[in-house]
Amino acid sequence: MAKLLSNPCRNSSPATFSSYHNDNNYKNLCCSRKINALPSITHFSKWAPRILARIQTRRRFELRSSNGYPLNAVSLQDEGSAANSQTEETQLSDSGKGDSTLSITVVGASGDLAKKKIFPALFALYYEDWLPENFVVFGYSRTKMNDEELRNMISGTLTCRIDRRANCDEKMSEFLKRCFYQSGQYNSEEHFSELDCKIKEKEGGRPSNRLFYLSIPPNIFVDVVRCASTQASSTSGWTRVIVEKPFGRDSKSSNELTRCLKKYLTEDQIFRIDHYLGKELVENLSVLRFSNLVFEPLWSRNYIRNVQFIFSEDFGTEGRGGYFDNYGIIRDIMQNHLLQILTLFAMETPVSLDAEDIRNEKVKVLRSMKPLQLEDVIVGQYKGHNKGGKSYQGYTDDPTVPKNSVTPTFAAAALFINNARWDGVPFLMKAGKALHTKRAEIRVQFRHVPGNLYKRNFGTDLDKATNELVLRVQPDEAVYLKINNKVPGLGMRLDRSDLNLLYKTRYTREIPDAYERLLLDAIEGERRLFIRSDELDAAWSLFTPLLKELEDRKIAPELYPYGSRGPVGAHYLAAKHNVRWGDLAGED
Amino acid sequence: MAAALSSSNHCCSKSPAYSSSSSSSIGFNQSLKNVQFSVISRKKLGSKNVSLQSKCTPLSNAILMQDGALPTKVPTTSETPLKKSKEVLSPITSPEENKAPIISDVNNSKSTVSITVVGASGDLAKKKIFPALFALYYEDCLPEHFTIFGYARSKMSDAELRDMVSRTLTCRIDKRENCGEKMEQFLQRCFYHSGQYDSEDNFTELNKKLKEHEGGRIANRLFYLSIPPNIFVAAVKCASRSASASNGWTRVIVEKPFGRDSESSAALTTSLKQYLEEDQIFRIDHYLGKELVENLSVLRFSNLIFEPLWSRQYIRNVQLIFSEDFGTEGRGGYFDHYGIIRDIMQNHLLQILALFAMETPVSLDAEDIRNEKVKVLRSMKPIRADDVVIGQYKSDTRGGVSYPGYTDDTTVPKNSLTPTFAAAALFIDNARWDGVPFLMKAGKALHNKTAEIRVQFRHVPGNLYNRNFGTDLDRATNELVIRVQPDEAIYLKINNKVPGLGMRLDRSNLNLLYKARYSKEIPDAYERLLLDAVEGERRLFIRSDELDAAWKLFTPVLKELEENKIIPEYYPYGSRGPVGAHYLAARYNVKWGDLGVDE
Repeated sequence: MAKLLSNPCRNSSPATFSSYHNDNNYKNLCCSRKINALPSITHFSKWAPRILARIQTRRRFELRSSNGYPLNAVSLQDEGSAANSQTEETQLSDSGKGDSTLSITVVGASGDLAKKKIFPALFALYYEDWLPENFVVFGYSRTKMNDEELRNMISGTLTCRIDRRANCDEKMSEFLKRCFYQSGQYNSEEHFSELDCKIKEKEGGRPSNRLFYLSIPPNIFVDVVRCASTQASSTSGWTRVIVEKPFGRDSKSSNELTRCLKKYLTEDQIFRIDHYLGKELVENLSVLRFSNLVFEPLWSRNYIRNVQFIFSEDFGTEGRGGYFDNYGIIRDIMQNHLLQILTLFAMETPVSLDAEDIRNEKVKVLRSMKPLQLEDVIVGQYKGHNKGGKSYQGYTDDPTVPKNSVTPTFAAAALFINNARWDGVPFLMKAGKALHTKRAEIRVQFRHVPGNLYKRNFGTDLDKATNELVLRVQPDEAVYLKINNKVPGLGMRLDRSDLNLLYKTRYTREIPDAYERLLLDAIEGERRLFIRSDELDAAWSLFTPLLKELEDRKIAPELYPYGSRGPVGAHYLAAKHNVRWGDLAGED
Repeated sequence: MAAALSSSNHCCSKSPAYSSSSSSSIGFNQSLKNVQFSVISRKKLGSKNVSLQSKCTPLSNAILMQDGALPTKVPTTSETPLKKSKEVLSPITSPEENKAPIISDVNNSKSTVSITVVGASGDLAKKKIFPALFALYYEDCLPEHFTIFGYARSKMSDAELRDMVSRTLTCRIDKRENCGEKMEQFLQRCFYHSGQYDSEDNFTELNKKLKEHEGGRIANRLFYLSIPPNIFVAAVKCASRSASASNGWTRVIVEKPFGRDSESSAALTTSLKQYLEEDQIFRIDHYLGKELVENLSVLRFSNLIFEPLWSRQYIRNVQLIFSEDFGTEGRGGYFDHYGIIRDIMQNHLLQILALFAMETPVSLDAEDIRNEKVKVLRSMKPIRADDVVIGQYKSDTRGGVSYPGYTDDTTVPKNSLTPTFAAAALFIDNARWDGVPFLMKAGKALHNKTAEIRVQFRHVPGNLYNRNFGTDLDRATNELVIRVQPDEAIYLKINNKVPGLGMRLDRSNLNLLYKARYSKEIPDAYERLLLDAVEGERRLFIRSDELDAAWKLFTPVLKELEENKIIPEYYPYGSRGPVGAHYLAARYNVKWGDLGVDE
């Protein structure tokens, strides 16, 4: 069956992976599409019908209309491919009725991310019935552990949804029963082939799909990928690998990593995760833009004065600065998370919502941008601070950080997109650790009202009271639009109010963690939220020259106290581009 | 004070007739306000062309900014152009106003205002006018010296009037202190004079009494005609001949109805103008005094995000909706003669429509705004009978309670065809609005009580989500709702993603509910309008040419309805109105926003 499907696209290079999906090399992706409509659909097709049905339920697109029409609920895939998937599914399921299985291997299972995010996300997916009927979860790391110990370890971090506690314990123990552990070296093909045996055992001869989640330090990425692909690839289904940042530390190292990964994997087997793209409001960004008439006309230099991407944490490295010090905040947050959001925000309307179409548009944005200039960036580093009798450690007080480190823990930057839509509009980014709040948000500041009638009569500077659209990604997800309106009463006072949508008041359901969405997407082969190689490449091209200059010239960061609002340099940077940071104004 | 002098002089030389109007420049007002606001700002009585005056509170012109910057208060010099436009627009000026202001501004503390409520024993006076006057007094918005006179045919003493008035006065919910005391002080300034509405003698007596109270101060006089329309002219004649101010302004507030068609309205205007100048006539439309109607212009003109959308390119239709949840309830005599179209549509809804649709005025000055409103009205074609649906409520029994039909009302003729409900489609034939249906709907005895403006936007062209999902997103368009009453609110319906792993879209509201944000009680429309009349601010009053243009739109259809004795579609008391309204909307590919499921 697999052969039949993959034949038209068979890659000339003898891929190490035996999975037929292997063949969907990025170059001849279109070829595979002609046959299968969407690569992701083919993945689905290997699954049991039940799973497919469930996925379609998930993708159900509903809309409540105020006009009283019962709107049709239709599945997400465009009609053509949806139909295709149906037919394929019937073909395939004949051969492997309810028999396909999914194995998820968390490489680096004893690590922090695995414990805090990956296992809980997997459990949440299981709890909400998103996972296929037959699935197993494998932990893999160097630590010696047995299955029972792994289960013990992860059970501590599993939680049930706040809004659906029923059967929690029961579900949890069912989930844990499907978790297994294999210890081994990350560069040992032998150990991976032992893993392969164990997985095979669980798969019990069913057609199998395998997902590897690499939750390990970047220096062993390639080793693991090599071992996994040569020894533990699926023989009868797809094999995919999720990779976490960092994807290199500059253009060169990133290219090198990509090149090495591609020795063992094809483009569409690589799922570079950027968990910010899985955040609810980042997902909503495109919905807001493209399904509301009132926003799209405003979405250009004609009406938008500037856009701000703001990320702040209210804690420092706290004894875990080893990794961070080698990267710094620009690589850790800006070059990936914030830049990704920027491209989603600024992209042209894609041809469709298909992953490739969206990523094509994102790459276009990145390629329309000039590399960052040093004068458009300011860097900062937090220093020790005493507040209310409590003393907070500075960055270099962290024992895991070199005493003379100039690694930035704060950075602000101004970026420009040189295309017809955005020419001259500053896109400001700001990211920092050990600041006064913890938040992530997008702020769109609109231009002043030309010839404002009220300004003329009052002489008040209404130009500073411009409209602003805020998408708060965390905490307390919200969308609000600041408008000017009249304060009720006999006088004529204007006031800025918010047209407000606070998620927690409207949606009582708990919002799923970004990892849940991304894991599910990887399982489903939905690549929209993962970063393509050329995207990554373009992103690094923007930041690499700047990073090099910062490091070569050992630019000293501006020090700011722990828990403060960050270095004042950020204000001067904004002022230079005639912008005010929206998050540091009185009313927020 | 020097500033006041020079400013008024300056304008005197330019247009002597309007000198009163120029006494307070905004900038001047602002700068003083910060120092001694309580007295100064209230004394600017003659400042009729200061469109956005500071009122009552020292902070009145403040703009709250998120940026933390202090608003810079720059005295503006925008007066001259305003003056000029005035000269051009209303060349006729009142003799009274000619003399007054020069003195009144020089000697502010010696001027006084007498407010005479003609028809003081009536319902409106009791329920609205006196309470509004008290509220203004309570909020310190009235000048230091003022007197209130009730005038009506009933025989009553001052004490009896006070007794009657005191029953309807209330203090603001949010500021109760000194309520009793303030009320007492207010009532002390209320007097009564009984007389016939058409007797010059009786008005001369009133004049004498007024003079007594004015005690030689510069006297401005405001007459509020809260009387049936058939005696408007008689009362105006008597008041203007026998009780005009001799050294201040005299203004007359007139309530609807302003005629019942083009001819009668024109005749009324002609008669009024025999005794009054255009700028002495204050035709009140209390809907224009509603908070959110006032806010409509602010929203449009002080937010960048709305103006680009404000045209046929983005707006699919606009709906102006008014409903009451009660019928005539034994008071149908007046209503039956007019009907809902005259009572609500031709004035309130049409006024809001004009404000909504007008081009950006040159300034916020009353004449500039009214010029733009007239342009809208003149760009409209008279309404075709085809585009109107009328209804009349019939009795209904629900939950054991039976509600009478319109013709069950003893004050209504049994065979009355007067519409108690109407829906109409209007079009503005200009570049901005060509082809956009403006739907109006007004009715009595419906299922709820509401007044709102709904702006339905077009569909998203080439909607990605539509294309991929096959769902009819075109029906889930954005909608901006401005709810005038009850529970003032502004909300924008947007499509967003339902949180969760799936991809479900949902319509949510970007919401601003006034009562959640502003704890202050919102003043009654009458307060604002009375204050504006006292201050000579004409923005919210209807000019003669505006009224004329409004009647032109409705007169032909009203005539046709009446001549052909069109039978209204009956709808049960408390229902959602006749279904005909839906068919009318459907003809223009519109759905009523207020009857959707999520409302």
